[in-house]
Amino acid sequence: MNPSDLIGPSSSLGSPAPYWFLVFFKILGFVLHIIPMSLWYAGIILALLVRWKGGENGRIWSGRLMKQMPLLVALGVNFGIVPLLFTQVSYYQVFYPATILMAWFWLSVILLLTLAYYGVYIYAYGLKEGNSGLTPFRQAAAWIAAIFFIVIGFLFSNAFSLMTNLGGWPALAEKTGEAGAVLGTALNTGDSTLWARWLMMFGLALTTTGAYAYVDAGVFGRKESEKYRLWAGGFALKIYTLGAVWFALFGSWYVFGTWQEEVKATMFAMPLGILTVLTAVSPGLVWFCLWFFRKSVSKRAAFFVALTQLVVLSLNAVSRQIVQNLELGKFLDVTAEPVKMQLSPIVLFLLLFVFGIGVVVWMVRKVIAVETRPAAG
Amino acid sequence: MHYPWWYVPFLNAPMLIAVIAVLHVLVSHYAVGGGLFLAVETSFAYRTKNKSYLDYLRQHAWFFILITVVYGAITGVGIWWTIGLASPLATETLIHAFVFGWAMEYVFFVLEIVSAFIFYYYWGRLDAKTHTAIGWIYAGAAWISLVLITGITAFMLHPGSWLESKNFWAGFFNPQFVPQVFSRTGGSFLLASLYVYLHAAFKVKDSAMRDLIAARSARPALLGAILVVLGGVGWFVFLPASAKAALAAASTLNLMMALIFALTVAVFALLYFGPYRNPGWLTPGFAIVLFVLGLAAFSAGEFVREAVRKPFIVYNVVLGNQVLAEEVPVLRANGYLESGSWMRAHVAARFPQAIENGKINEARLLELPKENQIELGEMLFQYSCNNCHAPKNGFSAASHLMRGWTTEMIRTCSREPEKLHFFMPPWAGTPEESELLTQYLISIAPAHPAGMYFGDER
Ligand code: HEC
Ligand code: HEM
Repeated sequence: MNPSDLIGPSSSLGSPAPYWFLVFFKILGFVLHIIPMSLWYAGIILALLVRWKGGENGRIWSGRLMKQMPLLVALGVNFGIVPLLFTQVSYYQVFYPATILMAWFWLSVILLLTLAYYGVYIYAYGLKEGNSGLTPFRQAAAWIAAIFFIVIGFLFSNAFSLMTNLGGWPALAEKTGEAGAVLGTALNTGDSTLWARWLMMFGLALTTTGAYAYVDAGVFGRKESEKYRLWAGGFALKIYTLGAVWFALFGSWYVFGTWQEEVKATMFAMPLGILTVLTAVSPGLVWFCLWFFRKSVSKRAAFFVALTQLVVLSLNAVSRQIVQNLELGKFLDVTAEPVKMQLSPIVLFLLLFVFGIGVVVWMVRKVIAVETRPAAG
Repeated sequence: MHYPWWYVPFLNAPMLIAVIAVLHVLVSHYAVGGGLFLAVETSFAYRTKNKSYLDYLRQHAWFFILITVVYGAITGVGIWWTIGLASPLATETLIHAFVFGWAMEYVFFVLEIVSAFIFYYYWGRLDAKTHTAIGWIYAGAAWISLVLITGITAFMLHPGSWLESKNFWAGFFNPQFVPQVFSRTGGSFLLASLYVYLHAAFKVKDSAMRDLIAARSARPALLGAILVVLGGVGWFVFLPASAKAALAAASTLNLMMALIFALTVAVFALLYFGPYRNPGWLTPGFAIVLFVLGLAAFSAGEFVREAVRKPFIVYNVVLGNQVLAEEVPVLRANGYLESGSWMRAHVAARFPQAIENGKINEARLLELPKENQIELGEMLFQYSCNNCHAPKNGFSAASHLMRGWTTEMIRTCSREPEKLHFFMPPWAGTPEESELLTQYLISIAPAHPAGMYFGDER
């Protein structure tokens, strides 16, 4: 059977905005999502390990990250909504079938996330009470959270790799079927893309965690001791190195081992070859910044680290989008959907978006004013 | 049909939506009303320089964040997850129609999160004016997000003139919009007070403080109850005819309506004689009773609001069996199996002999051995009936509904379900396909219960 037979008709309502507009917000949203996501994906387990074996400074770093974690999860989950919304507008013909095939697993994300999130709170609450606060129960909660987040990451990699693995759908549907319907118990584990991608994304998350350790010490942790900040500079470099090597290793597997010929033919040729190379080598730039500034952790240096890591993540987000479209290209052209522009809602959304940013900036400035006020009050 | 159908034994996949939706609304309304409560009451406490009330409010804010930012937010995402799995065609339609409504909503979610965290974590460090301003930003953002999502959920019950114009605003400001904004806003006030009572009854030991809390939150709760009722009346008045008929016809719904009415009266009376007239009544036991009654009324209301849409998921747009209303004639002409990508693929893989020139030849399906016809009928059942009926056992199981039916009755049900009950979608396939379904239904229909005596000879 031809897998494209499994793609349902396109919506008669048409695309509410041009493809480029939707995909711009999808990519923007994903970049915003992946920053905090990386910090809980790789950061929590690292924070627990470092607390256990990382000495006094390690404990400070671990505590700082975990105290911020409730906010990071809240923001990261929210930022995930944007790309998922636009995925469902432009990629619905493949997104719904893929997630329905793995329905129970996909739904379990919600339960796992709720539990993991409470686990984070339980641990962070204990931190407020100093070392005695971290009872075995609170520690166990954090370990469970760390594991659940990694499992959720695995499920996301499943969903997004299954979305383009149409060739695997018929067999999965038969294997997990019940009278022509599906039981929702499939996973994309037969597809090596999944494994390469899951591991690669974890490596990328490690790099972000490393970069963030530096940014945190340089910007938010200015009240910490000089000794700690120096340690953080070195620590950030170590974690980044680990992440970059990991990313390179599994990224190579992903690119050379799992990309189909059509994808290679385009991604290795001009002009997209430039993007592929930049995406691959960009972590080197951040690594260089971290190495160069490792002995003088300052706000300015932190700015450079943050900016370069943002470039890394953006390049990744753009590349993965192009690869996704190429993989789907055989079956479906997502850019070809007729557009029935919803102009006034778009304009209102953009106005509210700008307004929202304005209000957030106003609130954050109030907080900064409090934070930088001399300790007298 | 455009998508694979997710078979959930016993419950049926769409029931998962109902379950998660109820779990969500019980908190999401508190996320709105509680925000307003915190904004109004912190302003009041600052103004009256009531230090101990401020302390209580701070405690409450923590409870509020733990419940709304985690559980409330994630169950909300959970609804979205389940509708995509259990009702993909309706979700596809809603997202195409309203993606920018959701995008706007998302802006307010971010505002809510940022303001909620600042409101709590910078308590005592921000000056009173800024602190209350942040509280109001939260409350405003939360209420607007309620309005935005209500536009979309109300649309499902009555899309109004959107059906002709396909215009975003026509759909958003549908006939059900204002009534539902009223009742949801009222529900938020009411639920927030019930949560406050529950929390205060356990946490506040000082009886003067408890009285203050009871008294302060009584008026909003009573106002909320009135808004719910007003909205409920508007909801009823602007229901499409089919929904009114469903309300009148279905005994479960009648029971539910009676239950909602009784519970609302009880909650109103308890509020009036309790916190409003006698703040001292606020004990843990009283708060629990009030809370449970309130949640029960709410859940029942939510259930009815959902149930009356049958046979549609989106009125006059998407039918309960995952086909578009406008597709029905096409499906009747071209065949349900042939038009549904996943079913066609299954037939082609399982019975290649039924395929002719790349299409399903339906006459050949009826030449298949009986057990294969039953097998195909079962698939048809999955795709066109399992939205509302479990097959043999479970929620509204079809087999038990047909106990003792004659073959002709079963055939009628399969051919014209909409004539049997207007809240079932019409048969969206060919007569041959309906015959396959009939074969399956016959195979699962149990016999008339044995031993019943109707005056005939023994
Ligand atoms: C949109 C939801 C929906 C769909 C889809 C649906 N039904 Fe029903 N059906 C109902 C409801 C609601 C009832 C009333 C149930 C009750 O009284 O418990 C009902 C009742 C029935 C009954 C009992 C009739 C009676 O007179 O008591 C049978 C049999 C039945 N359905 C079979 C089917 C079959 C076969 C299909 C698929 C072709 C189907 N239904 C599709 C909602 C649906
Ligand atoms: C419920 C809230 C969440 C939403 C709405 C969400 C949304 C998304 C979306 C839409 C993408 C794909 C972006 C794209 O390709 O354009 C994505 C990717 C990803 N998300 Fe999230 N996310 C959420 C929570 C999480 C959590 C809790 C984790 C845990 C680690 C996580 C880990 C990931 C990973 C690893 C990827 C990359 C998958 C891959 O491509 O292999 N997300 N997320």
